[in-house]
Amino acid sequence: MFLAISKRLLMLIPVLIGITMISFLLLQIMPGDPASRAMGTRASPEELQAMRELWGLGKPLWVQYLYFLRDCVTGSFGMSIFHKQPIIDLVAERLPFTLAIVGYSTVIALLIALPFAILAAANRGRMLDNVIRQIFVVVVAMPPFWLCYVLILWLALRMGWFATGGVGDGFVANIGRLFLPSLVVGLSTAALIQQSLRAALIDTMKADYIDTARAKGLRGREVFLRHILPNSLISTISIIGVRVSWIIGGTVVVEKIFSVPGLGSLLIDAIVSRDLPVIRGLTVFFAIMVVIVNLITDICYALADPRVRLE
Amino acid sequence: MLPRLNLKCLLLASAFSLAGMVAHAETLRVAIGYDPISLDPIATSDNGSIWTQLLIFDTLIRPDKTGEGLEPGLAESWTVSDDGLTLNFKLRDAKFSDGTPVTAADVQFSIERAASEASGWGRFYRPITSFEIISDREITMKLAEPFTPAFNNLALFAAAILPKAQVEAKGDAFFDAPVGSGPFMLTSRVRGSRVNLAKNPHYWQQGKPFVDEAVLEVVTEPSARVIKLEAGEVDVALDPPLNQLKELDAKDGISVGQTIPYRADFVQLNTTRKPFDDERVRLALNHAVDKNALVQGVLFGAGKPAASAMPVMAYADQNLAPYDYDLAKAKQLLAEAGYADGFEAQLVVDSGAATSRNAAIALQAMLQQVGVKLKIQMLEGGTQWETTKAGNYDMSVSYTTSDTIDPDQIIGFVAVNPERANAYHTEWKSDRLNALYVEERKTVNGDARGAMFKEMIQILHDGAPYIFLYHPASAWAVQDKVKGFEILPTSNFRLEDVQIEN
Repeated sequence: MFLAISKRLLMLIPVLIGITMISFLLLQIMPGDPASRAMGTRASPEELQAMRELWGLGKPLWVQYLYFLRDCVTGSFGMSIFHKQPIIDLVAERLPFTLAIVGYSTVIALLIALPFAILAAANRGRMLDNVIRQIFVVVVAMPPFWLCYVLILWLALRMGWFATGGVGDGFVANIGRLFLPSLVVGLSTAALIQQSLRAALIDTMKADYIDTARAKGLRGREVFLRHILPNSLISTISIIGVRVSWIIGGTVVVEKIFSVPGLGSLLIDAIVSRDLPVIRGLTVFFAIMVVIVNLITDICYALADPRVRLE
Repeated sequence: MLPRLNLKCLLLASAFSLAGMVAHAETLRVAIGYDPISLDPIATSDNGSIWTQLLIFDTLIRPDKTGEGLEPGLAESWTVSDDGLTLNFKLRDAKFSDGTPVTAADVQFSIERAASEASGWGRFYRPITSFEIISDREITMKLAEPFTPAFNNLALFAAAILPKAQVEAKGDAFFDAPVGSGPFMLTSRVRGSRVNLAKNPHYWQQGKPFVDEAVLEVVTEPSARVIKLEAGEVDVALDPPLNQLKELDAKDGISVGQTIPYRADFVQLNTTRKPFDDERVRLALNHAVDKNALVQGVLFGAGKPAASAMPVMAYADQNLAPYDYDLAKAKQLLAEAGYADGFEAQLVVDSGAATSRNAAIALQAMLQQVGVKLKIQMLEGGTQWETTKAGNYDMSVSYTTSDTIDPDQIIGFVAVNPERANAYHTEWKSDRLNALYVEERKTVNGDARGAMFKEMIQILHDGAPYIFLYHPASAWAVQDKVKGFEILPTSNFRLEDVQIEN
């Protein structure tokens, strides 16, 4: 197992080199001069030139690329032109909020999806199954920005149960503050999990070893908890893995509406202001996160299903 | 036994008084749309940073509330010599928030720092070539040659007065926990989320600020700012969506206000290309646009029609009227220029700016009536800038804002060619205007200088290298209990003047 993980980590190196190259070259093609953006529209040519010199924008491409690689290896991921801070510091300020939404929304998703998936599978083909399916189709089809505002207007403004946005100080304050944004993200995760888990449960129920379990006299409840559910959850693991990778950088809309200072809005702001080092650094950082999440997913897979080997 | 009892009483008493203070501490909560990037005045040009800096630091002189004149800041009085080369300032008895006095040495240090290579605003202050400290409370600045904007630029945030000793000792780290002489001091901040400020106990305006604490909550989504106000989570919401203003004003307990800041919106016309090289065509386009309809439809009434690409600021000609909406005249002008059947052109617009996008669609419909067919091309903001800068466009929806209260900076930008932007990439030029620009910078503030600006703006109006659109308002919404809040024409706000009524 340890060996397998080390091997996977080693394989990361070529992947990351590829990612650094692609993100570096793509940004070279992107129009827009970061110096004129930073200096405002009224800067003089000499000032712009001085700025470009300062940031090394005038150096040959391969030299700029090597600087970028150096920054990635030393862990700073470069310096932000606007914030004048190492990118890793900017990430460190925002990562806790993003991770909180990742964790919180996943818990919410499981709490919603598990009971409904089981209920639907147990009543497959019947009225209840259909109703549940229709509801989750609606949930998955709801645009997040709309859902955000509906929840704010209803639960925060009308009922007054939650703050309308922003983050608080400390863990306890943020359980309340981050509930609504996590709910929005969690609902779409829940819809995905519910559908796949229902299908997996139904498949597993038809398996021969379930008949065997029943034949040897296990009660329905035990068959379900010991055999059907664990074997069906494997598909859920991969869905969560994919979703987590997406949530890390992809919840900009939710972050903006709820004023959560997360990584997604950091990236969008950097794109708008042409803060090239931040865009580049974040792209590489996201890539690393995705690779790590995939690795963890695979490990969970292997732990859950002894037939799967980490190779 | 007795001393111990006393101590207990003392502790109890102080605990009570502390509790009392906490209960009475008034906090003003403001939802703003921008997260301050840095509190170093010479390193920033973003609204969030500038607005926050102006709450923490003071300048020698500052724009008054009309935005057209100057009033005393840290300097209680000043004189400018007749040749414009010597500026003398007498400082008031002011202290930084740590209690140390503001001295002439701090002033010299701060202005020299603002003029340094490290400063993003150096060109504004480099004309000041020497300083003479007369006493702790008096300083003279000298210019090598006349440059009138230099004086007015001392009212800009970049010229904020910093405590020399502390900045020298701490370097850039000073700006993580800055000390200034402004109405508030920074207590803490969470990047991307909020800035916590407390009243500066040593502030020079007696009795101000009225509130004990102020919190700037960063809420980038305009609708979310309004929702926060309605939920009572903030007392002030800056820049609510314009289409919600009327509805908001009608709500109980909430009132809205607006100011016209230093901003003008217009359509750049590339005068190197046909048919925009013909002045008659440019005039026709100006007559074909119904500016009042744009203000109503695009700005929801929050703004006013523009007569020029210059913001309404010092030396503006209040009598200069916008081009009237006259389709017959527009058609006639087009016919005279040989475009009786109109023409086709491409209109570039920033895809991220909702107002500009709506204006572009309205313009398309309006110009259709005189036979001008516009093809709208949406570009991302940075790309739009590069495209117009390269001269690779027909027409482009754009705007300009002024950083300073002196109109010199902005007229150089939108009307002078050759200059930094070659009349903002329209390549239009007027020799008379160029000559006036050189002259104006050497003339001390007063009527003569004002007349030069009025003439320049008239020439710009007549030459019409732009379709002049409108001056959009900056709006705000407050809980009714908040008194005295307003956005100034310089776009910032003075929280020291705000009171909360209970």
